[in-house]
Amino acid sequence: MDNKRGLFFYLKLYGKIVVQDIKSKMSYRADFIISTIGMVATNISGFIGFYILFRNFPSINGWTYDEMLFLYGFSLVSITPVQCLFDNNWSLRINVYTGDFIKYCFRPVNLFFYYQSEIFDIKGLGQLAFGIGTIIYAWSRIGLPVTFLAILKLIIFLSTASLVMIALQNAAAATCFWIQNSFYVLDLVNRFRDYAKYPITIFSPVFRFIFTFLFPIAFIAYYPSLVILRPNEIPLLTWLSPFIGAAFFYVSYRIWMYGAMRYNGTGS
Amino acid sequence: MKKYLTLTRAGIIEALQFRLSFVVIVVGNLLYLTVIYFLWKAIYASAGADRVNGMTFTDTLIYLVLATALFNFMEMYTVWEIGRSIQSGKIVLDIIKPMPYRRYLFWSFTGSFVTQFFLTFLPTFIVVCILTHGTIRFGVNIPLFILSVTMGIIINYSIDFIVGTICLYTESIWGINIMKQVIVLLFSGAVIPVAFFPETFKKVTFCLPFRAIYDAPLSILLSQGTSYPDLLHMFFVQLIWCVVMTAVSVLFWNVSLRQITVNGG
Amino acid sequence: MDNNEKPVIELKNISKEFKVLNRHEGLKGSIRDLFSRDYRTVKAVDDVSMTVNQGEIVGYLGPNGAGKSTTIKMMTGVLEPTSGQILVRGNVPYLHRSENAQNIGVVFGQRSQLWWALPLIESFRILKDIYGISDQAYKDIQDLYRSLVDIEDLLHKPVRQMSLGQRTLSDILAAFLHDPAIVFLDEPTIGLDVSMKAKIRELICELNNKRNTTVILTTHDMGDVDALCRRIVIIDRGKKLYDNDIEHLKGFFGSYRTLKVRMDGDLKKKALKVQNEFPSLSVTGDDEWISVLVDESRDRVVDVLEKLQQSHNIKDMQLEEISTEEVIKKIYEGAASPSSDSEGA
Repeated sequence: MDNKRGLFFYLKLYGKIVVQDIKSKMSYRADFIISTIGMVATNISGFIGFYILFRNFPSINGWTYDEMLFLYGFSLVSITPVQCLFDNNWSLRINVYTGDFIKYCFRPVNLFFYYQSEIFDIKGLGQLAFGIGTIIYAWSRIGLPVTFLAILKLIIFLSTASLVMIALQNAAAATCFWIQNSFYVLDLVNRFRDYAKYPITIFSPVFRFIFTFLFPIAFIAYYPSLVILRPNEIPLLTWLSPFIGAAFFYVSYRIWMYGAMRYNGTGS
Repeated sequence: MKKYLTLTRAGIIEALQFRLSFVVIVVGNLLYLTVIYFLWKAIYASAGADRVNGMTFTDTLIYLVLATALFNFMEMYTVWEIGRSIQSGKIVLDIIKPMPYRRYLFWSFTGSFVTQFFLTFLPTFIVVCILTHGTIRFGVNIPLFILSVTMGIIINYSIDFIVGTICLYTESIWGINIMKQVIVLLFSGAVIPVAFFPETFKKVTFCLPFRAIYDAPLSILLSQGTSYPDLLHMFFVQLIWCVVMTAVSVLFWNVSLRQITVNGG
Repeated sequence: MDNNEKPVIELKNISKEFKVLNRHEGLKGSIRDLFSRDYRTVKAVDDVSMTVNQGEIVGYLGPNGAGKSTTIKMMTGVLEPTSGQILVRGNVPYLHRSENAQNIGVVFGQRSQLWWALPLIESFRILKDIYGISDQAYKDIQDLYRSLVDIEDLLHKPVRQMSLGQRTLSDILAAFLHDPAIVFLDEPTIGLDVSMKAKIRELICELNNKRNTTVILTTHDMGDVDALCRRIVIIDRGKKLYDNDIEHLKGFFGSYRTLKVRMDGDLKKKALKVQNEFPSLSVTGDDEWISVLVDESRDRVVDVLEKLQQSHNIKDMQLEEISTEEVIKKIYEGAASPSSDSEGA
C-alpha cells in the first residue's frame, strides 16, 4: 500500500476539510459575527495604543512613525497564517490533559498535519486585511517606489516571517507534552508577538542575541522588513531569514512530533 | 469562611501540580519585563526629554512593570472558565453547590491568586524596589495600595463575571473574551499609562470602571506630591465602582439564571 | 473465507513500563513534590503473549487500570513496548504507524474521532480520501451500511447534534469504512440504553460476519461479551490471567449450576433442613428462594430435584447457569483458580 503521500495529497485533503469547516462555521452565525467584531476590536485597540504612543514620542531609535507603522502592518500580516492555519495549537493543551489527543493518532496520515487541519480560523483573515491596509498606507506615506521586485521581496519575506511565528507557536504549544499546562507558554509567546513590531536595535546586545536566535521574534517583522525599509544597509541575517525561517519551522515540527510520541508513551 | 478557605487551599495544591509551569511563569515574566524596560528606555531616549506628560522614565517603567505584574495575578481567565462550564454542561453541577456560583468561582480562583502573587508580583515588586532606589515610598500608601488592589481584584472579577454571564446567551466565548480583554487592557492603563492619553480619551477613561483596576492602585502606590484629598477621592471612586460592579454582576447573573432555568436552556 | 487460522496479531512477551512521580498528600506534600525526583516504575503490561486470528472477536477484559488500553495502544502503534515483540499483519506497529493505521480501525467509546461540526457524510468523504478508499469500495460499504442500519437520518446530521448512541454508531461505521483487517473497540456501549446496546452489538456482529474483520473488544459490560465474543482474554495488573473460549470460562469452577426452589414456610429455616439432607452441597436461603449449588460432575440436578420433591412440597423452581459476570468478578477478585472449591452463586 502506498503510504508515502505527496504534497498534492495533503493540499487536496486540506482543501476539502477547510471547505467543510468553513461551511459549518457559517451555520453558527452569531459566534462568527461576535468573533469577527472581537478581532476588529483587537486590531483597532492595537492602533489606538500605537497612536497614543507616537503622539507622545514622535520617533523611536531613529525609526519614524510611518516606518514603525510599516513594521506594525508587516507583523500583522506575518502572524495571519499562524492565526488561520495553526489555531488548533491552542486546544492542544486541553486535548492532552483530557486524553482526547490519542484519537488523532490512529490515522494513516501525518499526525501534525491531521491535528492542525481540524481547525481553520477565518477570523485571521480580518487581521490580514488590516495588515495589508497598514502596509499600503505606510508604504505610500514613506514614498517607497512600487516595483514588481519590491512586491516580490515583500511577499517572500512576509512568508518567511510567518514561518518563524508558526515555529514559535508550535514549539510553545508542544510544551504541553511535557509540562501539561502550556497555556502560560502560549500566552507568553502571544504577548511577545505584540512586541515583535519594534526594532531589535532598542535592545542590549545580549537580548538582541536572545531575540534573534533563541526566541526569534526579531524575524517576525524587523529583519525581513529591512529589505523594504533600509535597502542600503541590509544585514546578512535578513538575507538568511528565509532559511532561518524554514529551519525554525522544521525544528518546531520535530519538537511537536517528538513531544506527541513521548506523550503517548506516558499518558494513561 | 472555612469552606471558602478550603477552596483556596485546593486551588494552591492544584496549581502546584504543574511543576514546570512555574519556571515558565517566572522566566517568562522576567523576559517580558526586560522587553518593556528596553522598549521604554529607547522611547525616552528618542524623546530627548526627561519628563513626558509629567512622568519620568523611572515612573513609567515602575508603572508598566507593576501593571503587568498586577495583570498577571489578577487575570484568572474567568470568562473561559465560565464559558467552558456552560458549553460542557458542567455549570449544572456548579450551580447546585451549596454556595452561590459567583462566590464559589471566586474562591476557587483565590488559590491561583496566592501562587501568582508569590511567583510574579512579589519578586517583581522587590526587584523594582531595589533597582529604582527608593522611588517607591514606604508609608501610608502601602496599606492603601493593598486595599486598592483588593478592590481592583473585586472589580476585575465582577467585570469578568458579567462577561462570563453573557456566555449563557451566546456560544461565542472567544469573541466575547477577546473583546473584554482588549477593552480592559487599553482603558485600564495596563499597556500605556493613562497619563499619556489624549484629553478627550482620558475623560472617557475616567467615566469607565476599568481604570479602577490597574491605574488606581498604581497611582496610589506611586503618589508623590499628590495631596490626600486627591488620593481619597480616587479611593472613593474605586469603592463606588466596586459596589456598583458587584451589584450589577450579581443581579445580571441571577436574572440570567432564572431565565435559563425557566426556559430550560 | 478460508484464512480463519491466519494470525493477524501476534504478541510475544510484551511488557511496558512507565515512570511515575510519587505524589504526596496535602499542601505541604504538593510543595515538596515541586522539587521531588522520587520516581517509581510501574509495569502496566507484564509479559503478555497472545495470538489473534483473522475474523475472531476477542473480548479483552480486565478491571480499570489493568493495562488494557496500554496493550491496545501498543497494538495500534501509538506506544512502543519496553520489551517483547508485536506483529500486526506482519508489521511492527510502532515502526510503521501509518501503514498500520491503514489496516486498523479504532473506536474509543466516549471520544468521537469524527469531525465535530460536520455532517456524518462529510466526515465519511474526508475519511475516503485519508484512507484512499476506491469509489467502488466506498459505494459497496455504503450499500452494506444501508442494509444493516437506518443510516439516512444520520448522514446529514452534524456529529455534535447527535445523541450518544447515534454518535457511537457513527463512530463504528467510520471505523469500518476503509475495510480494515482489525477493529479495536474500546467500551463501545458505555452509557447507552438497552435497545441501543443491542443495536450496536448486532451491527458489530454483522460487520464481523460480512467482512471477516477481526474485532478486539474491551468492555466492562458482560452483555457485550456474551453477545459477541467466543474468546476472551483477561488481564489484571498487567498479567494475563485467562485466554480461552467463553465456554471454558464457565467451566472454570467445574460445571456448577444453581437449583432454586420455593416452598411453604420460613425459607431460611427450611434451607437449614435441606442442608442437612444434602451435606455435600451448599445450600442458602433468602426470602424468596432456597438455592442449591450443584456440581454436575458429581450429582445430577434432576436427581437432587427428585429427592427434594419427596420430602418437600415444591411450589416453583428455577435453574440458573453461573453467569459470565460472576465468573469474571471472581477472577478479578483473585478468588478463583480452577481447582478451588468455590462457593459459587
